[in-house]
Amino acid sequence: MSSSLDPIVRLSLVVGIIAALILAGVLIALVVFTVRYRDPSRAQPPQIHGHRSLEIAWTAAPLALLAVIFVLSLVTLGQIGQGATFGSLEPPVTVSVIGHQWWFEFRYANGAVSANELHIPAGVPVELDLASFDVIHDLWVPELGAKSDVIPGQRNVMRLFTARAGTFAGACAEFCGLEHAWMRVVVIAEPRADFDRWLAAQAAPATATGRGLEILRSNACASCHVVQGQLAGTSIGPDLTHVGSRRTLAGGVLANAADAMRAWIADPQRYKPGALMPRVPLSDGDLDAVVAYLESLK
Amino acid sequence: MSATPVPLRRDPNLVGIGLFIASESLFFLGVVIAYGVFREQGLATAKAQLDLGRTAIFSALLFASSGTVARAVATRSRAWLALTVALGAAFLIGQSLEYVRLLGAGLRPGTELFGTTFFTLTGLHALHVLVGLALLSTLLGASTARRSRVGASAWEGIAMYWHFVDAVWVVVFSVVYLGTFVG
Amino acid sequence: MSTFALVHRPAAFATAGVLRTVDHKDIGVMYVLMGVGFLIVGGIEALLLRVQLATPNERVLDPSTYDQLFTMHGLTMIFLVAVPILVGFANYVVPLQIGARDVAFPRLNALSFWLSLFGGVLLYLSFVAGGAPDAGWFAYAPLTEPSHAVGSGMDWYIFGLAVNGAGTIIGAINLAVTILLMRCPGMVMGRAPMFTWMVLITSVLILGAYPILTSALVMLLVDRELGGRFFDPAGGGNATLWQHLFWSFGHPEVYVVILPAFGMISEIVPVFSGKPLFGYRFVAGSGIAIGFLAFGVWAHHMFAVGLGDAENAFFSATSMLIAVPTGVKIFNWLATMWRGRIRLEMPMVFALGFIASFVVGGLTGVSLGVVPLDLYTTDSYYVVGHLHYVLFGGTFMAVFAGLYYWFPKVTGRFLGHRLGLAHFWLTLVGLTLAFLPLHLLGIEGMPRRVWTYPAGLGWEWPNLIATVGSFVIAAGTIALALNVWRSLRTGDRAGDDPWDAYTLEWSTPSPPPAYNFDAIPTVRGKRPLWDRKHPDRTDPS
Repeated sequence: MSSSLDPIVRLSLVVGIIAALILAGVLIALVVFTVRYRDPSRAQPPQIHGHRSLEIAWTAAPLALLAVIFVLSLVTLGQIGQGATFGSLEPPVTVSVIGHQWWFEFRYANGAVSANELHIPAGVPVELDLASFDVIHDLWVPELGAKSDVIPGQRNVMRLFTARAGTFAGACAEFCGLEHAWMRVVVIAEPRADFDRWLAAQAAPATATGRGLEILRSNACASCHVVQGQLAGTSIGPDLTHVGSRRTLAGGVLANAADAMRAWIADPQRYKPGALMPRVPLSDGDLDAVVAYLESLK
Repeated sequence: MSATPVPLRRDPNLVGIGLFIASESLFFLGVVIAYGVFREQGLATAKAQLDLGRTAIFSALLFASSGTVARAVATRSRAWLALTVALGAAFLIGQSLEYVRLLGAGLRPGTELFGTTFFTLTGLHALHVLVGLALLSTLLGASTARRSRVGASAWEGIAMYWHFVDAVWVVVFSVVYLGTFVG
Repeated sequence: MSTFALVHRPAAFATAGVLRTVDHKDIGVMYVLMGVGFLIVGGIEALLLRVQLATPNERVLDPSTYDQLFTMHGLTMIFLVAVPILVGFANYVVPLQIGARDVAFPRLNALSFWLSLFGGVLLYLSFVAGGAPDAGWFAYAPLTEPSHAVGSGMDWYIFGLAVNGAGTIIGAINLAVTILLMRCPGMVMGRAPMFTWMVLITSVLILGAYPILTSALVMLLVDRELGGRFFDPAGGGNATLWQHLFWSFGHPEVYVVILPAFGMISEIVPVFSGKPLFGYRFVAGSGIAIGFLAFGVWAHHMFAVGLGDAENAFFSATSMLIAVPTGVKIFNWLATMWRGRIRLEMPMVFALGFIASFVVGGLTGVSLGVVPLDLYTTDSYYVVGHLHYVLFGGTFMAVFAGLYYWFPKVTGRFLGHRLGLAHFWLTLVGLTLAFLPLHLLGIEGMPRRVWTYPAGLGWEWPNLIATVGSFVIAAGTIALALNVWRSLRTGDRAGDDPWDAYTLEWSTPSPPPAYNFDAIPTVRGKRPLWDRKHPDRTDPS
């Protein structure tokens, strides 16, 4: 299996072809009958009231067809649902996912914490443990055929898999408030060795230097953010320990670069109206220092 | 063909009230299901706060009122009707006293889950009882002035509604009170 | 003479006035006018949404406005347009079809209209009183709880829907009792018109579904105003409970808005094919089957919630089961056309458009009942495409068909054929452009209920086409308005039975007098007028 999407594609082809045939049949009959029997003369056609065995047949046939599709769907679910191995012999890697308004948090077993970006090993089943910090969200990675609601007070589990490395887009798929649209995720699948390296690096505390850290400490940043080893704070907002290594900011609304980071901090509402991050008034020099520091947190 | 409508075999008013009662039963079903979903979590508070004995007495009064209203309809008796109103009012008074006691003990819809489910379920029932009392009282009043003008529909229909309110209490009492202390 | 009087001129109306009328025909027209009024509002809301989504990263609307608009668009179209219009048709037509002089409870009928309207007004008052509800028409908890909801929008949602719902429930009781008890002599249910059958089943669905919504609304109110914890996990409540309750209402609700449409098509296709409905018993039976099954499929809206494999499998099975009675009606309509003499008058043209569109919506609906496929497409634009195909391509197309069909009865004039064709083609092309690309967008990964979307994902063209389509639909609706306006003044006059039809409403003058019939008829078969026109041939009774 090349990815957890494959069984879904196979089933959708079967269902799609059957549906297309039915659609074609109905539309053709509609057109043919309209053309063939069109007669505005109000003359009396044969007054046929019905045909019992025909109606039983055209009730039974769809039922049988649907029963077959139902069985196929159960088979497909077995291939992608709880405990699916996707043909891999590797034990699954577990990642804890927490949905926030409006970003996704990812916590790994070794203590690494990331946001907006989910790294997974290629060729290994990945088990996501889903919980919500506030309202109902949903993590959807279309290219890997994975979707599950993320519900406060309930723990959901879903598996996904890709045999090859690649980058995939993900998004929140349950309306969760003002910025539901910008709760996007980048999923990065890497060869196992690269993934392990990334994971180890992400678990390491920050060791960057710079004036920016002092500015973070003297403002309200720690009330929502954390930089492991350097800024003791809370996990209300994304963990910033390795923010410099991420590809996107703020749920995908901006690509991560120094100028984007600067613009975001200067005026979050401009890019993500409704975002919960407040505007922290900083002088130009302070802002530059903060951005330099954060971007250095690779 | 006929110029006048054919007389109906069933009273439309009663069929209408019957359909309404069926519909309203589903309304209560939704709230009872919600109560059921949270029953486990609220059990401790329920055991501590509810008074089975007193509620059973007031419930008996309500159940008796179904009997009295049936009697009233059968004999078109204003006396039995008045007794029904009195019994129903007594039930509501009992409920109110119960509410005062629980609220005084600090239980509110907002304090904890049991408060939410208990007050919502019993409160909605009490509102329906109040409406029933209003209907019974109106019937009582109307049957004074022009006794013969009050149709069978009114007597039977209002009685049907009252039986419904009673039946709902059978369910609520069983689920909330018996369900807490028995089994 | 007022425009309203031009639309509808029964004797009762002139003396009682709009505010005091209890005539079912007046009330039917009032319901339809209410629906039309809200259609304009809901339609403008849709156009605004589509303008915002025409291009990526657009800023025509801010997220708060967008969220209120998409919420109100959904609420409006379902509760304030589709249901009132269908109830309006039912009110006008059913008593005539069953040979009655009015509904069972005329005064209650008036009350139900005014409650429905008032509920809609309450809902819209929210715009000027702190903001409209903005959590979507299905308003999932805990987003609607005080801890997460900003403003009073959700309170207006609760009161508006509760009042509107009360009106609808009372209306359903009325229609059900009317159909059950007031059919004219000889009209056993097995001889009742199919539209009447479908209205009866719809009434039962309403009586079963709306109270469940009311219970959920009351519980939400307790949470919001009395500090309750029904749906807030933070307080021990259960967010999923709201979904179970809402969809236990919500799924039967979609059958409420499609069954009367099926009924209309089942009247029109036979008349314009010159033949009886093929398989009357099966069509009625399939309606009954839907009535039962409708209450057993709700959690197919919740496959991604994580209910469990067994639960998901159960609801998938029931959902696929309900597709059968829904779908085979199409075969019945096609068989009715087969070997008939088809007249392409406007009602038939729209009926054909309905069949073509509904089969698409029905098939995508079946795909959504297949759990692994649903897990991919749920909460994406695929669902938005599906629901608009069944609600617009389905319900609205049928309503247009019914409008062209019964307009001559109500007003005594035909709607114009050429403007009708313009209306039809603009509608069909418009709906194809507006809603077909949405399926592709869903498959490409676009989630629903997003106020904007990123560039560079390939979503630009389908969105732009969809926006163009929405304006084409609007143009079609303007063509309809023009047609109505013109026809009321100078349309061709219609007699009692302009279509050579089968059912009793066509035995009255157009428009009918206040008392409907000079004498209550007696019927011998399913097609009383056909029986009268062909006394030598008998329909099987």
